[in-house]
Amino acid sequence: MSILVSLLLQVLHIGLMIVAAPLVAGVLDWLEARFAGRSGPPLLLPWRLLVRLSRKKPVELDSGSVVLRFAPAIELGATVSAAALVPSFATSMALSPLADILVVVSLLIIARVAGVLAALDAGAALPGLAAQQSSALAVPAEAALIMAIFALALMGGSFNLGLIILAQDDGGLVPATAAFVALASLLALAAADEAASGSALDQVLTGTGLAVSRMAGWLRRLVWIDLIGALAFPFGLATFPAGPLDWAIGFTCWALKLAIFVLCLSGLQTLLGRMPARRRQGLTAVALLLALVAVVLVLTSTRLA
Amino acid sequence: VSDPILLFLILDMAALLVLGACAALMPPAAGLFLTAGLAGLGAFLCLPPLFFSWPAAALNLPTGPPGLHLHLALDPLPAFFLLLAFLSGTAIAAFQGTTAAHSGSVRVAALCLAGTAMSLLAADGVTLTMGSALVCGTIVRDWRSRRTPAALLIPLLLLAAVCLLTPTGFTPRFDAIRAAPIGMGSAAAAAMMTIAAITGMICLRAPANDWTGQALIAGVVFPSGVYILIRLIADLSSQSMQPWWGAVLLTVGGWFAVVQAWRAAADADIDGAVAAMMRRQAGLMVMGVGLALIGRAADLPQAQSLALDATVLLAIGSSLAGTVATLAAEALGSSAATVRLSRLGGLVHTMPWASAALAAGLLALAALPPGIGFASVWLLFQSLLSAPRTGPLIDQLPLALAAAAIALSAAAAASASVRIIGVAMLGRPRTPRGAGAQDISPAGRVILSTLAGLSLIAGIIPGSALWALADSAVSGVTGSSPGIRGELTMLSVSAAFPGYAALPVIALLALATGCVILVLRWLRREGKVAGLWFGGMKPPVGLPFGEPMAQSAGAGFLPELPVIPLPPVPRFPSLPRIAAVSPTVSLWIVLIAFGLLLLILAVAGGSE
Repeated sequence: MSILVSLLLQVLHIGLMIVAAPLVAGVLDWLEARFAGRSGPPLLLPWRLLVRLSRKKPVELDSGSVVLRFAPAIELGATVSAAALVPSFATSMALSPLADILVVVSLLIIARVAGVLAALDAGAALPGLAAQQSSALAVPAEAALIMAIFALALMGGSFNLGLIILAQDDGGLVPATAAFVALASLLALAAADEAASGSALDQVLTGTGLAVSRMAGWLRRLVWIDLIGALAFPFGLATFPAGPLDWAIGFTCWALKLAIFVLCLSGLQTLLGRMPARRRQGLTAVALLLALVAVVLVLTSTRLA
Repeated sequence: VSDPILLFLILDMAALLVLGACAALMPPAAGLFLTAGLAGLGAFLCLPPLFFSWPAAALNLPTGPPGLHLHLALDPLPAFFLLLAFLSGTAIAAFQGTTAAHSGSVRVAALCLAGTAMSLLAADGVTLTMGSALVCGTIVRDWRSRRTPAALLIPLLLLAAVCLLTPTGFTPRFDAIRAAPIGMGSAAAAAMMTIAAITGMICLRAPANDWTGQALIAGVVFPSGVYILIRLIADLSSQSMQPWWGAVLLTVGGWFAVVQAWRAAADADIDGAVAAMMRRQAGLMVMGVGLALIGRAADLPQAQSLALDATVLLAIGSSLAGTVATLAAEALGSSAATVRLSRLGGLVHTMPWASAALAAGLLALAALPPGIGFASVWLLFQSLLSAPRTGPLIDQLPLALAAAAIALSAAAAASASVRIIGVAMLGRPRTPRGAGAQDISPAGRVILSTLAGLSLIAGIIPGSALWALADSAVSGVTGSSPGIRGELTMLSVSAAFPGYAALPVIALLALATGCVILVLRWLRREGKVAGLWFGGMKPPVGLPFGEPMAQSAGAGFLPELPVIPLPPVPRFPSLPRIAAVSPTVSLWIVLIAFGLLLLILAVAGGSE
């Protein structure tokens, strides 16, 4: 019975993430416009965009190989896999034992790698340039991400996301300063990732391929939000054994966290404006430094092995 | 029980030596296939001691310097590394045999494998020195190179380290060293000499265009160097071990891991980039040994076991995936007649097998699941998680910096792999030669596919691979039960905590990607085929490939590393130049080297 329940929770979670990802993108665009004093686009515009793109006649590049053909699917597949492992409203899902945080990060890296390879496969100058820039920015960002999650794993005692969330929920990760610094590093990385204008792959795709790539980008943003939300504010997450009431509470808390995060993000974007690549590099460097500080803080604060 | 195995391995080594010496007398292809056969036989002989955990066996050969015998021994640790070396050697020799081979390749492959076998089976300092001298001398054949003297220092450093470890009045045998531990000062000096020698080994470079040498460095020399490091520092010096040795190894390994990953993402040539990826792998292995020493010094057997497990997994990756990547890069470079990344491109269309092999090798080395590189990095982080957390900031800083180095190295390696694959294989051909490149032969395809498949299997079931091949070797060094609680698919540190399960992760990824592909097929519409660079128009007459040079040449992925200004090297008076080394001069060189060897032995201890 518990297996069936965990499977049901998993399916619900994945469905929720897929439905919510374009919606969050729509809300962000609407809020950004409202903060700027404009009326704003419809909230469901991203969904409409997906439908419109899927009806378009695609232009296929004659120089593209099998990599270009399957890259959008791999990009979205890897992002969906990462999204499936990061809890939204409940922790005891079927795939929770697999939710190693290093695996989650690696799946996000696979999605980026697929996009970069496809951009290079197009054999043109501009996508190649975008791929180069994306890779150059990704190296410090991925290193900072791995360091930040290593700091959290040191505090939680394991790389398993569920166990880290449990430790945070039980009384907070110790030491609190290190947890705060690690989460600040994650926030800086999320902001830098959000400032990216789009995947390098977007320049070489049309039609359904482009729709899939856009969806992957929106889902990636939601994974970031869920990851930070679950690690920083794990309240309300339904744990095993839980009934429909706990799920409803979990869902409400998740929606609340999502709304607050989206509001903060759009406010930040309005305040700071579009971030150029040089400032993104600076932000990533700050995140890397913060992550290193968090690791040092954890290691030096422990006095017992 | 394993005495016959040891005897057969020694005979195999002797046969390789004879083959290397007589390489010029036989057709190159026949010589290479003979080398592959002998190496394959050696790999097969290593399996029983590993699978059945046979006890150590030793054999004294009544040959060698006056008053000394050569001592050889086989236990699970050398058997594991010998298996890797022979497996990689088999693939390298067989692959070179399928291409346009020359007698130089036979000599290099056979002598390097024989020297490696001698180093791994050595149970005394002299045999170890002879083996490593053979390896270094075979790989670095360019006697005019400025690196040659440094390479020839490696065996001397190893001999000096063993002599320092040997108690007074004994011959430099490993069993004598184990029986009577020495003082801290001598042990520390020996450890630093060993680290210097292994650093030199990681810096070894084959002459330009010597792909056999480069593949042997990746698949044979690096794992055997790590074995020597484990043997001399973690095993023979274990009773005099000091905690700061681990910090030194972490510093050296971290430097290689970060700098070489960065170089791989910035090097202009495919051979330089792949070689840098391999040196990065060697740096991670050195870090693994450093973490094991830190665990041992803090009396944390699980941390030590985890670090050694990560090291052996990295060695498997170096031998399998590293060999595949190097050989595939050779095939691409040879067929397209250039190693410049800016002149390669579009080879996936003309050389799909070689391209797939290169991608498989590089992605396995980068820390991406389900590659063996990811499992290794995961284990390295687990050993960092289990490392001691007591002590002041100065004790903890190496661990924090090690984590940063591993993270940065992993990110840069992923970027480097993408760059090599994307620029060399994908896109459009940049030159007519690239557009007309020929794929590897069917035999070459089988060899590369087998190696890539083995690497993939080891990445998918790393726990089982460790249990089958390396458990007895690691337990022999740590003296405790293995740190991994491996099931068939799960790699976990403790029964209470879930770990890394590659197979379910691949299944999830495949399921999600498959669903997306199905949706895409369902929504598929007939597309318009067009050239990207002209908006559907035909390319101009003078540029049959469009504007191929406008594609990314891989220059902007990471900036070049800044060159560290070094102090000026003092100029020594130039030695009289010997145009060609005559047999008489060679004899004198051998005699002088032999005399020096005896002098060192006489200073270090007594005679047998």
